[in-house]
Amino acid sequence: MSYVKAANLQEALNLLKTSTPRPRVIAGGTDLFLQDWPGCLIDISFLDDLKIIEEKDEVLEIGSGVTHAMAAGSDLVKYKATALAEACTMVGSPQIRNMGTLGGNVINAAPAADAAVALVALGAEGVLIDCGNSIRRMPVDKLYAGYNHSVVDCGSEILLKFVFEPCKPDEGSAFVRFAARRALALPMVNAAARIRIKDGLISAVHLVVAPVKPAPTRLLKTEAKLCGKPVGEETWFEAEQLAAGEAEVRGSLLRCSADYRKHLVGVLAGRVLRTAALRALERKV
Amino acid sequence: MEKARINFILNGEAVEVYADPSRSLLYLLREDFGLTGTKEGCGQGECGACTVLLDDLAVNSCLIPAGKIAGCSVVTIEALSREGEPDFVQKAFVKKGAVQCGFCTPGMVMSAHALLKENTDPSSEEVKMAISGNLCRCTGYKQIEEAIMLAAEQLKDRPT
Repeated sequence: MSYVKAANLQEALNLLKTSTPRPRVIAGGTDLFLQDWPGCLIDISFLDDLKIIEEKDEVLEIGSGVTHAMAAGSDLVKYKATALAEACTMVGSPQIRNMGTLGGNVINAAPAADAAVALVALGAEGVLIDCGNSIRRMPVDKLYAGYNHSVVDCGSEILLKFVFEPCKPDEGSAFVRFAARRALALPMVNAAARIRIKDGLISAVHLVVAPVKPAPTRLLKTEAKLCGKPVGEETWFEAEQLAAGEAEVRGSLLRCSADYRKHLVGVLAGRVLRTAALRALERKV
Repeated sequence: MEKARINFILNGEAVEVYADPSRSLLYLLREDFGLTGTKEGCGQGECGACTVLLDDLAVNSCLIPAGKIAGCSVVTIEALSREGEPDFVQKAFVKKGAVQCGFCTPGMVMSAHALLKENTDPSSEEVKMAISGNLCRCTGYKQIEEAIMLAAEQLKDRPT
């Protein structure tokens, strides 16, 4: 029965292999602290290896231990992964953002986890290492096993980082959410988009909304229909109709009815696409 | 969990405590160190009454396992006054009437300090953002915002 702050990644992996009872990795702990605790915790939140934010060979790497506050304040993230910076600004409260990590946001596996929604729109993959030192990569939405369940086994592996292509000069990304309050409220709906504009037309687009399914959900049919359309209000209006039509949502007694959520999906889809497209156009200049 | 020795810096002094590492920092501060200025409101990271600074950042002490603070610096509301004299943020709260029942005040003041460490010239939007994790059911926030703006002004006027 113990709580160990790992001194480095290798020590954390060794502890995962050897500790009894079966250990569990803890990062920021803002969600885990309110749940049942296992007897042995390995704290990885202070490991410098997991706090990187850097661009290498046209890949943006963001460590799983990066807090929401760090990501929201990073110029690199703000410029090349704007959706993620925006999402991280809206999670919980300043206190939560100072502790909660991006890795935790994804592994906690809440359907509408803000950072996870942005990461899926950006096309991010998670890079994992297990206690036998083997590495595997998985798209962020595939890290969800079900509602509030991750495929990541916190007793035997560590999520190292997220990797994705930074937005190029002809691309823009954005994140929006709608909640009862501006702070400390879970979103009724959130949405993120990454869009590429070529000669005034949409040449590629990712549109993600949540909570729709257990994981942040790309609206693939809407995306396909938007490709080739001109940037403009008519297209955003069409996107609203398409997105609201495609998303099959559930109501929630606490947050909002299914009808209202469906309406919000449309409104937020239009809003997030418009913002992302404007960014792509502004960046070109 | 089994008790363990935890060494950290508390209000500028190196301390050692023998405690269950899964206990919250909030209870450690209140019960083991008698620092009851840090309040328990919701106990789940939603009200901010338990806000302290952990390595200069505002955090909810109710969500932090004691084991996590080993080797870190923790600052509580008790560290602010000098020989019974409130510090400039506390005085600004008094001057602007930013205190009514007072339960949220220590957390508000710590969030204000976290902001002013980073940003000595905050806009009112930045002040609102900085205290967005602190709930107050009495004042309506306006006076608190004014108090933090006043404290920031005084910080500017100080000789560096």
